[in-house]
This record gives sequence, C-alpha cells and structure tokens, in this order.
Amino acid sequence: MSEAPRNATPDPGDTARAARGGWVEWLERRINLSELFSLITHFGLVYTPVDTRKPLREVLREIGSLPVTAYARWPQVLGVLAALLFALQTATGVLLAYYYRPTPEAAFESTRTIVRDLPSGWFLHEMHAWGAYLLVAVVALRLMRLFWDGLYRAPRELLWFAAVAMAWLVLQMDFTGRLLTWNAQSYWSTVRGMEVVWALPVAGPILAFFLGGRVVNEDVLIRFYVLHVIVLPAFYAACIYVTFGTLRRVGLSYPSAAGARVVTSFRAHLVDLLILTVLLFAVLVTLTTLLPFGFLAPADPYTTPAGVRPPWYMLATYALLQRAPVPMWLSGGVMLAAAFGVLLLPLWVRGDGGPRHLRRTRLWGVVALAVWIVLGILGATLDRP
Amino acid sequence: MSARPIVRRSASRLHRHAAVALGLLAAAAAWAQPGARPAPTPQPGALSPSAGRCGVCHPAERVKFDASQHAHEGVRCTSCHGGDDRSLTIELAHGGNFRGRTARKDIPALCASCHSDEKMMRAYNLPVDQYAVYQTSVHGQRLKRGDTAVAVCSDCHGAHDILGPGDPASRTFAPNIPATCGACHGDTTLMRRRGVKDAYREYLSSIHARELLDRGNLRAPTCVSCHGVHGAAPPAVGDVDKVCGQCHTAERRYFAASAHIEGMRRAGLPECSSCHGDHAIQAAQPERLATSCAQCHAADSDQAALGAKLWTEYRAAAAEIEKADSLITRADAIPIQTDDYRARIEQARTYLREALPAAHSVDPVIVGGFTLRARSVGSEVESEIYGKLGNLRTRKFVLILFWFYVLVTLAILRRLRYRTAKAH
Amino acid sequence: MAETQQQPNAAPPDGPTSRRGFLTWLTRAFLGLWGLGAAGVIGAYVKAPERGERIAQRLVRVGLLDDLRIGEGRLVRHGITPFFVVRLDQSRIVALSAVCTHVRCILGFDRERRILVCPCHDGRFDLAGNVISGPPPRALPSYTVSVRAGEVFVQL
Repeated sequence: MSEAPRNATPDPGDTARAARGGWVEWLERRINLSELFSLITHFGLVYTPVDTRKPLREVLREIGSLPVTAYARWPQVLGVLAALLFALQTATGVLLAYYYRPTPEAAFESTRTIVRDLPSGWFLHEMHAWGAYLLVAVVALRLMRLFWDGLYRAPRELLWFAAVAMAWLVLQMDFTGRLLTWNAQSYWSTVRGMEVVWALPVAGPILAFFLGGRVVNEDVLIRFYVLHVIVLPAFYAACIYVTFGTLRRVGLSYPSAAGARVVTSFRAHLVDLLILTVLLFAVLVTLTTLLPFGFLAPADPYTTPAGVRPPWYMLATYALLQRAPVPMWLSGGVMLAAAFGVLLLPLWVRGDGGPRHLRRTRLWGVVALAVWIVLGILGATLDRP
Repeated sequence: MSARPIVRRSASRLHRHAAVALGLLAAAAAWAQPGARPAPTPQPGALSPSAGRCGVCHPAERVKFDASQHAHEGVRCTSCHGGDDRSLTIELAHGGNFRGRTARKDIPALCASCHSDEKMMRAYNLPVDQYAVYQTSVHGQRLKRGDTAVAVCSDCHGAHDILGPGDPASRTFAPNIPATCGACHGDTTLMRRRGVKDAYREYLSSIHARELLDRGNLRAPTCVSCHGVHGAAPPAVGDVDKVCGQCHTAERRYFAASAHIEGMRRAGLPECSSCHGDHAIQAAQPERLATSCAQCHAADSDQAALGAKLWTEYRAAAAEIEKADSLITRADAIPIQTDDYRARIEQARTYLREALPAAHSVDPVIVGGFTLRARSVGSEVESEIYGKLGNLRTRKFVLILFWFYVLVTLAILRRLRYRTAKAH
Repeated sequence: MAETQQQPNAAPPDGPTSRRGFLTWLTRAFLGLWGLGAAGVIGAYVKAPERGERIAQRLVRVGLLDDLRIGEGRLVRHGITPFFVVRLDQSRIVALSAVCTHVRCILGFDRERRILVCPCHDGRFDLAGNVISGPPPRALPSYTVSVRAGEVFVQL
C-alpha cells in the first residue's frame, strides 16, 4: 500500500521548488533534518525507524503514507481527546501562570487582574476552566469505555493502569486547581474536600502531610500550586507517553464483532486529528463564550457561604463520609478500596473475556456506577439550605 | 523503690495544691475590687492624709472622700465642715469653727468660697465664674426664691465623691450626664409640680442619646450641650437655631438664608424644634420632605406642593444611584473594572446627602441643584456600564463569525482528507 | 503537522496567476489566519502591562511638583480611594484621604483656612487629618508622599 506514493512520479511543484532551492533544501545542505526529525519515532508517534540518509521531504512522504489503523468508532477518540485537551490546558495554563501569584493575599487579586484587566485574560481563564471540566468528563468516559469493552486484560494491562492513573491525576489537578483562584466558592469547596482527603485511612494523613496540613492556608496554597502546575502534569504527560508507546505496540483496540480493520495512511490520520482538534476547540470556545463560570467574591476564611459542596466528583465520597452510619475510617476505607480496586482490575477480574464473562463484569460495573450516582445525588442534597 | 519518696512526693503535691488555691483566692479578691481605683481599707485610729481622724467615726464618708479628686488636691474634711480632724473626742473634733452638714441653700456659696477664687483655681486652669453663672440659671433663680428642691452643686457633682469630668466614673462624664440630670428631670411628679416637661425620657429616645449611650460617641450632644452647664436654662425662641447650629452648621447656614427664619420669629415659633421636636430628635429622614411642610402650611398650598416636589426629586436621584450601584455589582461579577464607577457613585451620594441640609433653605433651585446633579451622575454611570455590558454582547457576535470560520476550516480539512485518501 | 499536510498540494510554480494556484494560496492564507489569531490573542495577553496603571495601583503618580502650588489642595480621583494632596510649603507635601470618616462624603478643600471641609455635615479636618469639629468619629487616614525626579507620588 505504501509502495504506490513512494514510486509515483514526483510532484511537479516539488521539483520546481527544489530547483529554486526552497528553505528546507537550504537547511538540508547544512543540517541533517531527517536525523532531527527521527526523534518522533522515539516518542511512539510513529512506529517505524526513520532512514536518516534520505532527505526530509522524502522521509515525511514515507511516514505520511504509512498504513495506520483508522478510528472505527467514536469511543476510540476519547484517548486522543484526553491528550489534546491536556495540550490545550498546558497552553492556557502556562499563560495564566504568567500573571498568577500563589499567595493568599495576591491569589484572588492576580486572578481578577487576569480576568478583568488583561486583554483576552477572561478567555484564557474560562478556556482553562471549561477545558478542565471536559477533561474530567473525557477521562471518566474513557475509563468506562475501556471497562465496558473489557480492555484491561492482557496485553492491555499497562493501558488500563495508565488510564486509571490519568483519571486520578485529572481529578487531583482539578482539585488543586480549584483552590488557586481563592474565591469564596473554591476556598470552601477545598476545605470540604480536605475533609474527604483526611478521612481516608492511612492515605489521608500521608496526603495531608504532603499537601501541607488540614487547614487551608498559604502553605497549602503554594503546595497545591506546585502540584497543579508541575508535579501532576508531569505525571500525566508520562501516562500519555506510556499510552502512546503501548498503543503503537499492541495496536488500536478492535472489538471482535467489528469485523475487518480499516487501514488508512498516517497523513489521513493526522488530518483526522486536525479535524478533531478544530471541533474540540470550537466547542470549548462556544462553552466559554456562552456559559462562562463567572467571577466570585474573594475567599473569607471566617465566613462560609451557603451551599458550598465539594466538586461533583467528590460528592459521593462526601455523602458516604457525612451520612453513612459507620465510623469515618471505614467509609474512607471503602473509598480507598474502590479506587484501588478499579486500578487493580486486571489482577482480580479473571475469565476468558468471552461474551458471558463480559456480561457479568458489565453488570458489576453498572451496579457500581449506579451506587456512585445515588451517593452523588445524596451528597448534592446535603447541606442544601 | 522504698516508700519514702512516694510520701514526700504526695506532700509536695499537697503544698502545690495549697499554693494554687491561695493564688486563686488572691486573684478572686483582686477581681472583686470594684472600680479601677482601689479603695483604701479604713483602719481605725490611723491618720488618713486627707481625712485625718474623721474617718474613725465616719468610715463610709472617708472611703468616698479618699477616692475623690478633692482628696488628691489636699482638700480636707475640715475645709468644708470645719472642726478639728486631729482629735478623737467628739467635743474637740466637732468644736471650734465646726459647721457640720451644710444647708442646701448654702452649698453653692460654700463651693464658691474656693471655686470663685481666681488665685486658687489658676493652678488647675479651672474657670471661676460657675457661681455667677449658676445664679443666672433656672436652678439658681429658684434657689434664690427659696425653692431648695432644685439642683445645687452637690446634686450634679456629688458631695464627698467629686470626680473630674474626664473620669468615666464621674457623674459629669459625658455619657453619665443624662442620668445625672435625669435624676431630677426624670422624676415626673417633681417636674410636674414646677411645670417642667419630662425631657429625660424623650431624650433617651433620640438619635443623640443613641449615639452617646449606645455607640459611645463622646461628641454626641448631652443635656448640657444645648442648655448650658452651670447656667442651665432652655434656649429662647430665636436662639434655637444658634444652639443646634453649633453642630448642624450646614443646616443652620441654609436655614438662616431661607424665607422661614423671619416668618417663624415673627410667629414666635421656635426654629429647629418646630419641625424636629426638641428632645426626641430622630435621625435625618428624607421622606419628611413630603410631610413636614403640611404641618404648618395648608395641604393644598404651593408650599406643601414644593415639599412633595423636592421629595420626588430626591427619590428619583436615590433610585438612580441604587440602580447604578446594582449594575456595578453585576459588572463586578463578570468582571469589569468598576473602581472609577464606584468613585463616581460615591460622589453622587455626597451630592444627595448635601441635598438634605440644603432642604432647610426651602429653595427649589438650591436643593434641585444637588439632587439633579446626583441623579445625572448616577445615570451617566448607568449608561456607561450598559455600554460596557454591551461589549459583552459583541463577544457573542464574534462567536458567530468564529463558527463560520470553523466551518470553512472543517470544509477545507475534509477536502484535504478526501484528497489524501484518494492519493493513498 | 501543518508542514506534513501541505506537502501533497504544494503551489505550482506559476503562483497565483492560475486558478488552482490562487485557490491554494487562498486556502493557505485562510488557515494561516488561525495562527495569526492565536499569535494576536497570546501576544496581547503576554505583553507586560504597564505596572503603574493596572497591576500595582498602590503607587499613584500625582503630577509634577512644580505644578503643585504652595497652599493648593488637589483632589486626586483615584478609584475608590480619592485623596487630597496639599503642598504645605516648599518641601512638605501631605496626602490625606478625601473620604469623610462620618458617612463617606467627598471632602472639599478650604484654601483660606487650610482645612478639609465635609459638604454634608460640615465636619472639618486639619491637614494632619485630625477632626477639628463636626460629627466625624475618626481622623482621616494619611498617605506617604514621595518626590522622585520632580514628580509627586503617593503610596496608598
């Protein structure tokens, strides 16, 4: 398949440019561009060695016509969306960090400066907030999708571990980022969230130790900041790397019922990604413009505003801690066990992966999700004035 | 281990408990002492620097006197009562020039024997005219006519326990003055017999009393601020505006230039109190613009209509400012830079507040000058914020353009995808 | 990525003269607008704002020292904290809040008496901020004034 374009007659425009001496050729005479470019193969983006003796244009053409498995269904896009959104979050996050100051005195004021006084600061701020919202949704949906299709068994355990780790990391990035604006709502939802963290047996005190204590003060703020902008994104990027590398090795998942694989060229795959990016960006911009999160009053550690609850993904945990008729360490332990149970799914779910087995595990998954949703609704109704 | 150390330890613990208990007792005793000034415990037979040996038989008076300002300045029992404070026998102590209890009618003269002496008072920077002033007061006049149930020096200052007006325990400390005067002026039967109104309770309901007693504002007027101290008397018609104008300077200025002042004097109406009352004065109520005029003028007169007009203008301006204020709050939530608007609204509020003193001029041009200015600033701010909120709507128009652009881009990419697949 | 996808339909040598070449050029210009827009938005955002104006509103530039005559009181309408700058003599300048401590009216400057007068209830303050007469319960806050290179600054 990849033979045809390589042996095809060269594009007349291309030869003309070569004769004119395009800037690529000009550079090529001085630097081995193909050698530089070959690094992409090391990131798992292209699963083929690059022949660095050939000129760059030819290398690109070869890579462009490499056969690649096409996305057959929309759920497969979730993984790449998680990476695209992360890139977008990185871009907006870096720009926000240019003006943000992580101290209790300056956090709110600097955020207000960004949102109010800087040109398109509001746009970047809202994009970041909506991006986070979508990212949480995407990693959660992706996890469900992998579970539904039973994609945690060999040889895909690593993908599953990475996906669970990504979900954890996204939730933690959301939790830490929430505090940074230091407004009334975010401050108090973090205070509530810290209650949940603290209630986890063994892990709670350890986490609180790393987060700077139970009391949300300047130490906690700067640690949240460091976690949010450096530590957690680094781990997330590592997970993306692991995912890409593993995917190139084990290939895209195909349910046995889907039939033959659709194979396309790498170039078409890139165009698909581009289309996806544009769509994602457009959706984000639309949400940002039409449904901005708005701007709230600064946090006052001495006044709790009414109706503050932990972020929605913590509502179930919160309800379990506040309303369950069991000691706190037990309900915290249940949450911890659930989190690790999901991570270590490949260890304890055994079976042939056949339709019967799949049906049974799916049932368990649906029950777990239903419990989680019911608890979440319960948590949302707690302390409602 | 042997038993001895255990015994010793328990013994030392007992000591410690005793020490703690004693300490607590001492602390409780110290806490139970009334007032900031610790009263010296009377010791029979001992000489007190100020009371001499009088305190042996008169311990209660001695305790009061020792805490007083007089005792600090070397005044002795004998200074007022005569006799000999070194003697312990009644005959000798109450002999010589002993005067005993001074009759009420003689008290002012007795106090004046020192307090009108310029040479004695100079060192304390105290005035010496109180006695002369007192005699001009209603109290002094009645005393001269033989009515001894009027205030003499000791009724307001105390007898043995006299303190300066700067001492919070003093009867003449500003927040204590209403109660000091009220001791008599709150006594309805006593006052009715003399045909004096019971002003004390009225005063307690006033904004002045709330400021002074509830909020601790020492600058708020007490009884003496309007009636005078030693020359206490009600201000005469024609003087009321001067009395109130000591503090309410702007109101007085406008009132003095108004058409009211002449007419009211001719009619014998007291100036400020005709509308505001005398003792039960309440905080400024702008809505009185609408009702005050009709108290004297006919309800269908031009004057009453003017009041209603001023009130309408005031209300319109206040509403405009409130509207602008809520718009600013809305803009803050977006957020839009509003510091400048807040400053201008503050300025508009200043104009609106100025309109109230200006209303005493009963001149529609002057009052309208303030209310209209307040209103125009309010509406300016309003329209400017509306303009900025309108900018937000342009964001949505830009979104439509953006989507057009996105769709074209997607079309281009689709074509590219198609061609790529075909080439492939 | 842009490089990769543009390869197959590179512009023919005769450029925008032919119809297809023009279309390609138009397409590229259109797609280039994405980059231009992003660069514009990010550039405007990243361009460091003038510190004195927006970010640090604490140090306020009042004006040239020479423009401030001795005995003149100037009301500086600075956001929600308007203040007066009064030049007492050749070298001394004071800055006082212009907001009355009574009910937040904006004060006026009485040049003859050298005091600040409240138009609402005739509260009066001296140039040290103390209440001379009237209802204000507290003294006016005062601010530090500095003169740098002939310009008067007030530290709020």
